[in-house]
Amino acid sequence: MKRINKRLGSCLSALLAVALTAGCGSGGGSGASPSSSEGAAQPFKGKKITFYVANHPWAETIKELLPEFEAQTGLKVEIQGFAEDQLSQKLSVQLTTKASDPDVFMTRPLQEGRQFYKNGWYEPLDGYVEKDKAEIDFEDFSKSALDTTTVDGKLLSIPIISEQEVLYYRKDLLEKANLQVPKTLDELEAAIQKVHDPDNGVYGFVARGQTAVLVTQVSSFVFSEGGDFMQGDKATVNTPEAVKGFSRYGRWLKDYGPPGVLNFSWPQAMGVFAQGKAAFYTDASAIYKNAVDPEKSTVAENVGFASFPAGSAGAKPYSITSWALGMNAQSDNKDAVWAFIKWATGKEVMLKTQQGGNPGVRNSVWNDPEGVKGFPAELVEVIRESSKVGVGHDRPLVVNVGEARDIIGEIVIQAILGEDVQAAPDKANQAFQALIDGEK
Amino acid sequence: MLASWMEKRFKWIVTLPALLFVLVMMAFPIAYTLRLSFFEWSMSAASPPKWVGLDNYIALFKDGRFWHALGATAYFSFGALAAETVLGVAIALLLHREFRGRGLAKTIFLLPMVATPVAMGLVWVLIYEPTNGIFNALLQAIGLKPLHWLGSIGQVIPSLMVIDIWQWTPMVCLIVMAGLTTLPQEPYESADVDGASRRQKLWYITLPLLRPTILTAVMLRLIDVIKTFDIIYATTQGGPGTASETLNIYGYVLAFQYFKLGLASSLLVVFFLLVMGLTLALIVVRRNTEVSS
Amino acid sequence: MKKRNAFARLLSNTATWLVLFVFSFPFIWMVMASFKTQVQIQSPGNFFWFRPTGRNYAEVFNQYHFFKYMINSFIVAIGSTLASLLLGLPAAYGIARYRLNGLGLTILAARIIPGISFLIPWFIIFNSLGLVDTYTALILSHMLVGLPFVIWIMISYFEALPHEIEEAGAIDGCGKMKVFLRIVLPISGPGVMTASLMSIIFSWNNFMFSIILAGEKTKTLPIAIFNFLSYSEVNWGGLMAAACIITLPVLVIALAAQKFIINGLAAGAVKG
Repeated sequence: MKRINKRLGSCLSALLAVALTAGCGSGGGSGASPSSSEGAAQPFKGKKITFYVANHPWAETIKELLPEFEAQTGLKVEIQGFAEDQLSQKLSVQLTTKASDPDVFMTRPLQEGRQFYKNGWYEPLDGYVEKDKAEIDFEDFSKSALDTTTVDGKLLSIPIISEQEVLYYRKDLLEKANLQVPKTLDELEAAIQKVHDPDNGVYGFVARGQTAVLVTQVSSFVFSEGGDFMQGDKATVNTPEAVKGFSRYGRWLKDYGPPGVLNFSWPQAMGVFAQGKAAFYTDASAIYKNAVDPEKSTVAENVGFASFPAGSAGAKPYSITSWALGMNAQSDNKDAVWAFIKWATGKEVMLKTQQGGNPGVRNSVWNDPEGVKGFPAELVEVIRESSKVGVGHDRPLVVNVGEARDIIGEIVIQAILGEDVQAAPDKANQAFQALIDGEK
Repeated sequence: MLASWMEKRFKWIVTLPALLFVLVMMAFPIAYTLRLSFFEWSMSAASPPKWVGLDNYIALFKDGRFWHALGATAYFSFGALAAETVLGVAIALLLHREFRGRGLAKTIFLLPMVATPVAMGLVWVLIYEPTNGIFNALLQAIGLKPLHWLGSIGQVIPSLMVIDIWQWTPMVCLIVMAGLTTLPQEPYESADVDGASRRQKLWYITLPLLRPTILTAVMLRLIDVIKTFDIIYATTQGGPGTASETLNIYGYVLAFQYFKLGLASSLLVVFFLLVMGLTLALIVVRRNTEVSS
Repeated sequence: MKKRNAFARLLSNTATWLVLFVFSFPFIWMVMASFKTQVQIQSPGNFFWFRPTGRNYAEVFNQYHFFKYMINSFIVAIGSTLASLLLGLPAAYGIARYRLNGLGLTILAARIIPGISFLIPWFIIFNSLGLVDTYTALILSHMLVGLPFVIWIMISYFEALPHEIEEAGAIDGCGKMKVFLRIVLPISGPGVMTASLMSIIFSWNNFMFSIILAGEKTKTLPIAIFNFLSYSEVNWGGLMAAACIITLPVLVIALAAQKFIINGLAAGAVKG
């Protein structure tokens, strides 16, 4: 036994040694501790709140700025970060059990907003806003962004990050083929056809192909043909307009897309584009850095941005609030949480987070040259344009978004597989209608 | 006094703590899941669970996706298991010889099964990537047509099987190798006297003698392969469409993406009974072979 | 005849190393990728020829604070293993000696239940006890994997021990507990070693229980690896470096204790 212990011991210490040397060279980390002496009035001295964030560059910027806020208010904000799916899961488990933790969290209003609202997990924020309307310059928030976070006339969360669907394209390929940047979906289709050259490793088009995740990106195709997922309480995914949008997206991926798109979320789709293997790519503006960073993209120099092309009903890309801050209805420190939300969504902080590459939701920041200098100039124009004409949702506005996305995504899957263009939408419409009815 | 009391109840004193721990940790979850399977609940803090009797089970058995998930589970599990068994035995026979570097070989072989599944799942995503991945580059380099791997409804489960086979063939193999070392020598000696060929010895002596060992390995793998979660979660999350959605993944989706806790619970109950039934069946089979051999 | 033998040996040796290459390929690929930039990882053309970069590893520790998660993983793995041994060794001995097979099966049932059915109930319990995001909760949950494994391996190990040893002890006037502690345990070293190593590895790799029960303070490596996939950016290089780092300790354990692990697996299977 002793010998074994010794063996085990030496084995463990060897492991530790490896771990320690590997850990060497890691500098101080990010633990810049706040100096508490600043600011005489520290209204929340000694208080602590917990803040759950997604793995998101926005949260990184907030972490850097936080010591300043903590010094001013005396409030300690403990941040916990998770991957987005794990965040949703963790939040739902935690809020179900009426835990008072986390006090405040990053939330995706379109994905989980109605579910969280129905379950009573959000603290409605209208009263708080009413009280401080002038101080936070509430009018400065983009109207469509606030629409996204409002359900049944109640403001459930404060928007922080906006997102639009844009067209990524390869300037060099267009030039070589002597093409203009497409303004309509028909032009885009012709352009895709022309540059599609798989034998030389260039596919005409790439986009998401995973059932649930593609729904947001096909939405602009549907909107631009004049369709939508639902109208009132009526499912409308099998209308001729909607079907036109779905089948166009599916057909492009089938005929001009790279192999295996059915397992593509944005990292795979962006991977193909960034390796110079696709000419056109439609996806969220939020991921633009992956295309223009030379460390991640072989075509960084040649990436162009354009507004989502017009369909028969004009150009209607989605333009939404992708992330917002929500307050836990069970929080014990609601005033402190509100103070934190005010700070994190205030003009100053939003300017800094936007400079960090996170498109914000305040008009004043977008109009400030300082606010847009972090973005490629072309993209700024596209974002401004898109938010003017954009639609405020990119997925159906129901409680059970997860299931609805699976139902609707299936239409596109069938289109990619080249199945009958009307059977799938009809079947999906029926299932979707049943889901809507079940929620009433 | 105490000593003799302890002496008498020794077998309970040593076993009870572990038993209690397992029961406490399992009893509440089982009871909770069982109870919830008769309720409808969306995790709402505002509206409590609603009693619906057997509705969840009825809905489950009417749900095409459930049957599809059952099929996918069976396809994935038995495909992977069959390949792992055959390959595991074959490789065990290959490694069960004296050759230079045998220790190293065994160690390398141990790695896939001890490596962190979620980490390796992400590695496989990149390897399988149809346009930028190394597998298709290799296929094309030797003049074959590239495959879609995880990105095709037909190929996704076989591709996942490959990952599972990669990960767990070593376990079957190592167990079989251990079994090989315990085989008695006499049958081989008499076979030598009779002038049996190597192939005959393999078919008529080695494999029959290994049967109990192989069955054990199969049983251990079966319990785990049916419940495979990490790898699928990290690679496809059940896609494309629902092509690789196994029962475990569907249960996860129902609970944490659709918030249908009642339905998810009924699925878990059915799933649990299924795994238990299969395990018991295998135990019986194994006992019978032990008796007959 | 001799020639044929030599040929056969060459053939099986080649087959052996080929099989090994195939099985280690994902590791080779992973290690290479961890020294590449994102652009290089996604272009299969330069699989072998590339200019290695150490940046990914630096990032893993500096930017993503992996050292912290590593410590968490160690604490949970070792804690749950020690606790599993404490409860599991006596139990396995009792089950083996007194043929309490029903009991053994009950405990093994823990292996059969689908893991997700634990998540919500456990969260409710641990949350009401204020134990979420503590090592205690993680250790207890990981024990549900480790303990059955310890018992499974040790039952067969104890069953294989010759009865005479204990009888000799009993004659010397030792009580049953003493016999177990003083005589049986000391000669069971290899079995204990195997059981501990397997339990450490299972805990190290556990993903599902940790998602729910871990928080920022106690996050373990399999959870932390998802930090490289953020909402709008993905860092494949860092991810691969992190994957290598997660794998390294289990790899070291496997290398150092290959014999124990293999023997243990074998004992559990052949006898069990």
